[in-house]
Amino acid sequence: MTEKHTPSVTTYVVVCALLIVFTVLTVTVSFFDLPGIWHVIIGLCIGAVKGALVVLFFMHALVSSRVTWIVISVACSWLLLLLVLGMTDYFTRGLIPLMTGH
Amino acid sequence: MRLRDELDQTAVVFHPLEEQYRNLEEQHEAGALGMWVFLATEVMFFGALFLGLGAYHILYGPAFEKASEKLNWVIGGLNTIVLLVSSLFMVLAVHYAKLGNRKHLTLFLALTALLGGAFLVLKGFEYYTDYRDNLIPGWRFDDQEWTKKEGLKEGEPPLAPEDVPHVKLFLIFYWVMTALHGVHVTVGIIAVLVLLVLARRGTFTPAYYSPVDVTALYWHFVDIVWIFLLPMLYLLGTHTLADLHIL
Repeated sequence: MTEKHTPSVTTYVVVCALLIVFTVLTVTVSFFDLPGIWHVIIGLCIGAVKGALVVLFFMHALVSSRVTWIVISVACSWLLLLLVLGMTDYFTRGLIPLMTGH
Repeated sequence: MRLRDELDQTAVVFHPLEEQYRNLEEQHEAGALGMWVFLATEVMFFGALFLGLGAYHILYGPAFEKASEKLNWVIGGLNTIVLLVSSLFMVLAVHYAKLGNRKHLTLFLALTALLGGAFLVLKGFEYYTDYRDNLIPGWRFDDQEWTKKEGLKEGEPPLAPEDVPHVKLFLIFYWVMTALHGVHVTVGIIAVLVLLVLARRGTFTPAYYSPVDVTALYWHFVDIVWIFLLPMLYLLGTHTLADLHIL
């Protein structure tokens, strides 16, 4: 796939250990008495770090070609568009009170 | 002749180079890129479900959090670790395929499939506990259970009857998303088992291991989806040790 240097077995094991530590951290945070939405925000932030570790090291994005990075960037951009525009739609409908049927 | 060239030529004998590629490496790169593009479509597939779940959680917070507390977060968390370790085994399979170590390649492919199976068994057991606990809207679900005042935590208000349909909505998201993820895991296990048979036959060499690498990309993606399902489904409310209902 690539001639670039790929990670060693030790790196993979360390990344996996980190992922497990982050999983334990995610579950631990759910025991803290926080407003519900904060559990999700913190959980998603830790999830984003875990996802990045998997993509960079396990999926070898770190040593992949530029064209692979274009696909990754486009996928992330599409997802961001979907989430931002979707949420904007859901939570701005009430701002136009005179539109019947809405 | 360099060793690399020799290996390439040997591999080409067994794995014909398609005419549109200059060499096996380019062929491998194109295969991996194809999988990345497929995974981009999968991001949108699961992304729409996450969007719906997130939007309705913002609208119906208390009902979603109460329903989430009833899910078996112990099995959910355990399954996360099972999938993470399976991802480690999968990447090690790629590593040893690249080195031409057939023994380690077959070992780690077998371990990956085994952990994938363990994930499904745990998930099946969790589905049984959901069935037993009346968490299946339309089949086993009791509206009264959700509005009763007994058994609440200190200071916890009971759920209003008009919130019960929102509990059902959350549970529908839970069933649809975990079932779709389960289908993806099943497909992944089948692919890994096919690789295992091919690896035992000696199909893969340091010059030709593209199917292992491409399948690994899929397997890691399925792992990533579960990484986000854990906080979005199982960990919405504030948990206490009283929620430790593993059996």
